[in-house]
Amino acid sequence: MKLGFSAAEEEFRAECADWLQGQMAGEFKDIKGITTLTAKAERRKEWEQQLAAHKWSCIGWPEKWGGRNATLAQQVIFAEEYARAGVPGRVNHIGIELAGPTILAFGTEEQKQRFLPGIAAGQTIFCQGFSEPGAGSDLASVRTKGRLENGEWVVNGQKIWTSLAHISDWIFVVTRTEEGSKGPKGLSFLMMDVKQPGIEIRGIKQINGDAEFNETFFTDARCPEDSMIGAVGQGWQIAMGLLAFERGVSTLGQQMAFRNELDEIIAAAKANGQAKNPLIRQRIAKAEIGLRLMRYGALRMLSNTDHSKIDGAALTYKIQWATWRRGLGELAMDVLGQAGELAHGSEYEWDVLPNLFLFSRSDTIYGGTNQIQRNLIAERGLGMPREPRGDL
Amino acid sequence: MDFRFSDDQLTLAEGVRDYLAGTHGPEVLRRLDEQGNRDPAIWQGLVDMGLTGLCVPEAQGGLGVGLPEAALIAAECGRACLAEPLVDTAFVGVPWLVAQGKLDGLEDVVAGTRRVPVAHAINPWEADGAGAALTSVDPLRNLTAAGQTSDDPHLLNLGALMSAAQLVGLADAMLHQAVEYAKIRTQFGQPVGAFQGLKHQLASCSVAIEFAKPVVWRAAQAMQDRLDSAPVHVSHAKVAASDAAMLTAETAIQVHGAMGYTYEVDLHFWMKRSWALCGAWGDRAYHLKRVDDAVLGGTLPIGPEHTFA
Ligand SMILES: Cc1cc2nc3c(=O)[nH]c(=O)nc-3n(C[C@H](O)[C@H](O)[C@H](O)COP(=O)(O)OP(=O)(O)OC[C@H]3O[C@@H](n4cnc5c(N)ncnc54)[C@H](O)[C@@H]3O)c2cc1C
Repeated sequence: MKLGFSAAEEEFRAECADWLQGQMAGEFKDIKGITTLTAKAERRKEWEQQLAAHKWSCIGWPEKWGGRNATLAQQVIFAEEYARAGVPGRVNHIGIELAGPTILAFGTEEQKQRFLPGIAAGQTIFCQGFSEPGAGSDLASVRTKGRLENGEWVVNGQKIWTSLAHISDWIFVVTRTEEGSKGPKGLSFLMMDVKQPGIEIRGIKQINGDAEFNETFFTDARCPEDSMIGAVGQGWQIAMGLLAFERGVSTLGQQMAFRNELDEIIAAAKANGQAKNPLIRQRIAKAEIGLRLMRYGALRMLSNTDHSKIDGAALTYKIQWATWRRGLGELAMDVLGQAGELAHGSEYEWDVLPNLFLFSRSDTIYGGTNQIQRNLIAERGLGMPREPRGDL
Repeated sequence: MDFRFSDDQLTLAEGVRDYLAGTHGPEVLRRLDEQGNRDPAIWQGLVDMGLTGLCVPEAQGGLGVGLPEAALIAAECGRACLAEPLVDTAFVGVPWLVAQGKLDGLEDVVAGTRRVPVAHAINPWEADGAGAALTSVDPLRNLTAAGQTSDDPHLLNLGALMSAAQLVGLADAMLHQAVEYAKIRTQFGQPVGAFQGLKHQLASCSVAIEFAKPVVWRAAQAMQDRLDSAPVHVSHAKVAASDAAMLTAETAIQVHGAMGYTYEVDLHFWMKRSWALCGAWGDRAYHLKRVDDAVLGGTLPIGPEHTFA
């Protein structure tokens, strides 16, 4: 065991920090510190392009496609410095972390050429069309239909909870292309242009007043036949590959953002005297322990050069961070105490800590609920018998 | 010893529950939220039910009932997520005035034309007051900055007690919403409520709520009897009710999946009220400290020579 990052990695860290902090103090000062997902969307698209212009938009991708071939450790370092500099979340997170890697893993050369440059350049914003009103945890029960007609896929149905669809250019859609099929069989994975007459988007207001996610309706929406990633009927396999990206390594760098949030809570506790309260002190200490637990877990996973092993370990990571952060939201409210009842009307509707409380209610739901994660750990990880389920 | 409510008390509470269920459903909360939070007809309905006069002595035209009954009704107000500051005026303000012998003008409270401001130094704001508007995390509470505040501990205890009572009602309602949703939402070919992972969580909420309730009623009786230990009972009640409500809020959102994270599902009104009330009238840290001071500081008689009712 050899702890700590290498000298080269530390040098890389300094380079990231230098550039990101420079941006947040300079040209992109106006977006620094935004914590909601939708505020100043247009400026944040410009930020995506700025990242691209300096080759920071998709560092984990191969150089050929605009990346830097960065190692996992470097990707984590970048994500950490990104959070530390107070840069708001990526509006093209889904393009960079989910669509891109999926196309790289499963797409044809032609598809790579068609999609990757736009994503890398911050010109093509992607959203994720998985969930449907009837298909949440049970993703395999997707009903949105795709049929082939004159060299085009024609899609009808509805997706829901589509984050950022209203500012996206493209959507990847899990569709049922085999008439009468059930479950994971007969599904296919399509890339579709959002800005077409057959796709309609309606915002859904969230408990924090933000409308980050949407209902997405498909009425004879179209895409060329060769917009399918993988083969007809291979959609489930592609979707699972993508979910492994979503739940796994793409989140390993987020502890720095969590660090910022915990620091904010500690500062609030010092300011209002709760830092002297032994009960709050203990909970802060526990939160710190939880954070370090994730940190060391992540660092250990990173040391593993066999990526398939990382995915196995990452199985336990989603529930760990989601539950920790939901608890952090509650700690924030207990630190604020009665003052937490008042919203001070920040520029973005909610102050940082109350918004953390509200937003963290969803961490244990999206990307696979805590219950589903536990099922995966127990059934796939521990090999336990499956819970009886109804007929599909 | 009889740790039960009488039939009369229960009938009263049921009457209020039915009335609110019939006139103050979630659609009303949504209408209020869109149209400025208050509708005089709702207040008038509460007045007509006699609720503003519940704790006003009979000589002043009220019903003169005690704090345990008032707490029972406050729980119903929580269940309905009632936004009107009925509990503040009628179950906190009135008992506080009565305790001080300030009986003048209580007839106007019964008639619904007078509100009793209940601003305490610990939360220097009041609902529907005349001061500058403040924004509560609860979209239906109209908080205003208080001109004058009191630091009377009796007021604080009444406020905390009635918050605890509302919290158990809120928790009941959230549990109900989650259970009903778990029965109708199907995934993997069956209602999600059939999965043990959810069922057990909801059962745990039920345990927390059912054990919080007698603590609240015990505190109400202690306040009614003006026991020396009443403040500790109130703190116990506030903590137990807050914990039950927050656990239930968290679980109910989880059970609803992404639906639970929307403004369009009613749940968030209850969740935000719970959140607001957990912080009000002494937050968790405040009340836990009162309990631990009492237990370790000797104000609460404990030891083999004492029983602990
Ligand atoms: C903020 C946010 C953003 C999102 N963004 C996107 C997006 O961009 N694209 C997209 O496609 N989706 C998105 N989602 C949807 C997300 O993937 C789903 O919410 C999630 O998969 C759960 O599905 P559901 O909401 O339908 O809940 P349901 O599946 O209906 O679950 C309801 C409850 O039942 C439980 N449950 C279900 N099955 C089981 C079981 N077998 N055992 C035990 N318990 C079970 C669940 O854990 C949950 O508590 C987003 C969700 C949120 C909250």
